[in-house]
Amino acid sequence: MSLNELWGYLVLGVVLGCLYAVIAIGYTLVYGVLQLLNFAHSEVFMFGGFGGVLALTAWTPVVNPSGMQSVLYVAFGMAAGAALGAAVAYGLEKVAYRPLRKHNAPRLVFLITAIGASFFLYNLAGKLFDRSSVAMPQMYSNETVFTLFDTDIKTTHLLIVFSAVAMMVGLDYVVNRTKLGSGIRAVAQDPEVASLMGVNIDKVVSRTFVIGGLLGGAAGFLFGVNSKVVYTMGFLPGITAFAAAVLGGIGNVRGAMLGGLLLGVVETMTVFFWGDDWRYVAGFAVLVLVLMFRPTGLLGERLGRTA
Amino acid sequence: MLNKRFMKIAAPLAVGALVLTGCGNDSGSADGTYKIAFQGPLSGENVQLGVNMENGIKLAIDEANASGDYEFKLEYFAADDMGLPDKATSAAQAALSEEVLAVVGPAFSGPADTAAEYYADEGVPAVSSSATRADLTTKGYGSFLRAVPNDSAQGAGMAKYLASEGAKSVVVVDDKTDYGVGLADVAIAELKKAGVKAQRQSTPQKTPDYSAAAKRVANTKADAMIYAGYYEDAGPFAKKLDEAGFDGIKMSGDGTNDAQFIKLAGGSADGWKLTCPCTDPNEEDATKAFAEKYEKEFKRAPGTYSAESYDVTKMIISEMAELDEINSDTLLKALKKTKYKGLTKEFSFDDKGEFRNQTVYMYEVNGKKIEYEGSIDDLTKG
Amino acid sequence: MSNQTMNAQAAKRLRQVRWYQEPRWQRLGGLLALALLLAMVTGVQGTNSDPFYAIKENLTGVGLWVYVGIALLIWVAREFFSEPVKQAGATAKQAKGTLVDGPLGQIKQLLAGQPRLRWALMAAVAALAVWGPMGLDRYWQTVLVDQVMIFVLVAIGLNVVIGWAGMLDLGFIAFFAIGAYSAAYWTGALPVAPPIELNNFAVIPLAVITCLVAGLLLGAPTLRLRGDYLAIVTLGFHEIVYLTAKNLNDVTGGTSGVKVDRWEIGGYEFRIVDQMPFYWVLLAFAAITVFLFVRLEHSKVGRAWTAVREDEIAAASTGVDTVRYKLMAFAIGASTSGLAGVAYASKVGYINSENFVILLSILVLAYVIFGGMGSLPGVIFGAAFLVWLPEFLRDYVDPKDRHMYLGALLVIMMIYRPQGVIPSKRRQRELKMAETGSAEAEAEATGTGGKHS
Repeated sequence: MSLNELWGYLVLGVVLGCLYAVIAIGYTLVYGVLQLLNFAHSEVFMFGGFGGVLALTAWTPVVNPSGMQSVLYVAFGMAAGAALGAAVAYGLEKVAYRPLRKHNAPRLVFLITAIGASFFLYNLAGKLFDRSSVAMPQMYSNETVFTLFDTDIKTTHLLIVFSAVAMMVGLDYVVNRTKLGSGIRAVAQDPEVASLMGVNIDKVVSRTFVIGGLLGGAAGFLFGVNSKVVYTMGFLPGITAFAAAVLGGIGNVRGAMLGGLLLGVVETMTVFFWGDDWRYVAGFAVLVLVLMFRPTGLLGERLGRTA
Repeated sequence: MLNKRFMKIAAPLAVGALVLTGCGNDSGSADGTYKIAFQGPLSGENVQLGVNMENGIKLAIDEANASGDYEFKLEYFAADDMGLPDKATSAAQAALSEEVLAVVGPAFSGPADTAAEYYADEGVPAVSSSATRADLTTKGYGSFLRAVPNDSAQGAGMAKYLASEGAKSVVVVDDKTDYGVGLADVAIAELKKAGVKAQRQSTPQKTPDYSAAAKRVANTKADAMIYAGYYEDAGPFAKKLDEAGFDGIKMSGDGTNDAQFIKLAGGSADGWKLTCPCTDPNEEDATKAFAEKYEKEFKRAPGTYSAESYDVTKMIISEMAELDEINSDTLLKALKKTKYKGLTKEFSFDDKGEFRNQTVYMYEVNGKKIEYEGSIDDLTKG
Repeated sequence: MSNQTMNAQAAKRLRQVRWYQEPRWQRLGGLLALALLLAMVTGVQGTNSDPFYAIKENLTGVGLWVYVGIALLIWVAREFFSEPVKQAGATAKQAKGTLVDGPLGQIKQLLAGQPRLRWALMAAVAALAVWGPMGLDRYWQTVLVDQVMIFVLVAIGLNVVIGWAGMLDLGFIAFFAIGAYSAAYWTGALPVAPPIELNNFAVIPLAVITCLVAGLLLGAPTLRLRGDYLAIVTLGFHEIVYLTAKNLNDVTGGTSGVKVDRWEIGGYEFRIVDQMPFYWVLLAFAAITVFLFVRLEHSKVGRAWTAVREDEIAAASTGVDTVRYKLMAFAIGASTSGLAGVAYASKVGYINSENFVILLSILVLAYVIFGGMGSLPGVIFGAAFLVWLPEFLRDYVDPKDRHMYLGALLVIMMIYRPQGVIPSKRRQRELKMAETGSAEAEAEATGTGGKHS
């Protein structure tokens, strides 16, 4: 148990945490505008993985691709994953949540709808794409890029961290600097006043889902690259990312990023100290502890105010 | 309010019952049609293994029906237990209500533990091609036959092989499933018996990210690693082991001995040693024909336990053909005495219903192929 | 360009409706998308050797054209022949309106006047509940006992927490697990030996108390949390209980599980193949629980729960001890679930950690809301129906797809009947008020979607 070993786990934790953070943003955004636990977001993520597999089956990578080709494949796969994720998220909002919103249904009803939609979606994916795991086709050779304090940093690690950070920075910009972003924040603060001010709530909600879907889908693709794609892959990362969103303060975009990173690190540290079978116990224990002392999460709740 | 409630519960139940009894009556042996059931996970978390087995059974039944060699016709009945012990009871009842002649399954050990009692009570033979937990045959379920060597055989084989390769320390990783834990228990006990240092790590099935677990294995700097689990997770785990830089012997059991493992692991599967109580389904002509037929019928390659289930069904059918009077009792008696040479192995049972043939074979992944190396007894002799 | 003309242009752009934005074409698009989805849902199973296989097959198959044809027919009927259809609908509604409340309302009216008839009917129903299942096929008896009755009990327990006290609990199966493991422990089934081995029936009070304490332990630190935060913490609690059961092999048997003795009383042993004795025991449990809970609902405690649910702050300021009543709800709900756990372990005769996965907690929540939370008949129906449905579907659809249909049903049901199948009267009123935008409805503790609570 040297410090070097610990550092190695920390690196892995950051990589995993980046993925959690990107998924958690999807939960938090939707929660921000609708106060809805979008349980089906884990399926958006799963479809993202399949989007990548479909795209790279249609356009199979050559054996031993060159650097440029690798970048193209990855970009193509990720774009396909993000697109399918966004499409699913958009459809989900349109079909399942919008009618409820029109009825002004209580939040529990949204929750059950989300659970139902989640069941439907993952079983549909199982039916369409088969229920056994598929590997993401190999797009690059996973080599050691450089060594940082005795820990090999592989291509996959870099890919995940760079794309996740890029997505998070981009999203932060969208939410804080663009017109759409101010629309989202306005709806999050007060939908009624926002609509009086000329914000088209339906459009904003719809686009929020699409943004969440894009991120979730891309994360699904990255997860697939990191391990494999299977129709049940959404459930566990989904729950963890949901916990991450709550940990950071649900509805708070930067909180979700922080929460995701933190849970990723906590999980790998648990593996280091106690073993893989206890990782979720530690994750949830941290969550409960934090909530006991800060009942609205680390960075507090509102999307409108703090992000 | 009370009346409404009970009507609403009772009505669908009654309708369901009617539908079921309606279906039940037209079966039976009067017209020479018999039903063979499969009990296993046909939905839920482990559906893929169930599908592998179901397809194998269906193929055997279709072949028998199409061949015209038999005086009877066979029908397939699916009893889905989701791989869960509590669902297994109703699955077993479903099969019994259909008056099935024999059952292939239960597929998993947990469900076998609850369902075997039901089959025993009616004397319906339940021949499992995949429930490997060692203690199942010790509980006196009269009609339960295990058509697969139990965990002890493979665990012992692994330990023996690693000891002969000169491994001093071994990490055993289980996947927290019934199968993985059972296999790991035996492997560790046998390794310790052989004087090899063994330590255990657990990585639950379906872990989203195997990097940390793989790093933990690599950090032990052990000479060898045994992964006790299924290929669906062994694939990504192999990838991550490579990434973490583990360079000892990598070994796994029959749950991983599947072409799909190589696909999932990418190049990282190379050099993995895989044990199996089965001969290679792609090696001999008969098995090649099976693989081709299977692929044609189900548009996929045969998976873990496909060939075994096919064998078991064929064995049941061939025993049925020998009988003068076909019913569950006579069939059970015949099965207990059977000596049937299938694609994967030769089947015969001892008086407890335990599989007699306990030979374990070794395979190695080489490039895109799993190559046969020979039985462990032969390999460790020299 | 002046500011004014720019504004005018912007306004014009806003007002402009392109052809595809017209409701008529949007509806067509929606129907066609639905047809496509249905073709996928009812199409072939995919294969792992070609991820496009199922999509290709479904898009070229006959099914798609049938669905598209139906969609087009509906669209044409809706767009061009809507007047006669609407009229027919209106007449039908009028005709229905002349009946008091449909046939059920009539029966109710009839019964209201005649208490004797009412008692007779109730006795008949009770008799049906007691002896009716004897006529069922043994398979359905097993389903009824092993799954329906058990989950009805669990759902009744969860109803206290969520339906009455208004606390969102996503980890309810944890208590079920604790109950089941208590039964295993005290009957000497676990690898660790208990101080004394007990009969399964004698375990019940112990298990109930264990779950009660567990409920308090979970409840106490989480009382500060509300709504969604409580949901994730309860979810975490479940995960911790589940993983503990899974990982502590030496104590719980882990995934390999343990065999639990079946029920036995005074020398009478329950045989596995006879489902009815189990059924009667469970029916008795359910009847007692329902009786107690009905009393509880209309007692001071029940009213306090309602107050806490509707507006916790208001309740506290009028002197309701919210902490006590919330803890009480947790404890009572948990102990009911524990009872179900004991029954489950003693019936199935085998438990392992995989019987208590997180999915079940979520499903039980769906049972409660589907049936109509807060209403006992609703909750019982919801659990019974949703447990029964997958078993029923087994014969009609590919068993692998059963949960897909279950999920679709949940979504459709929540869109068209958000109050549940048999809603409680109070909740029905709340929902109506929410829809009409009445301010009072917002007082509901769970808050409303699309709005701040």
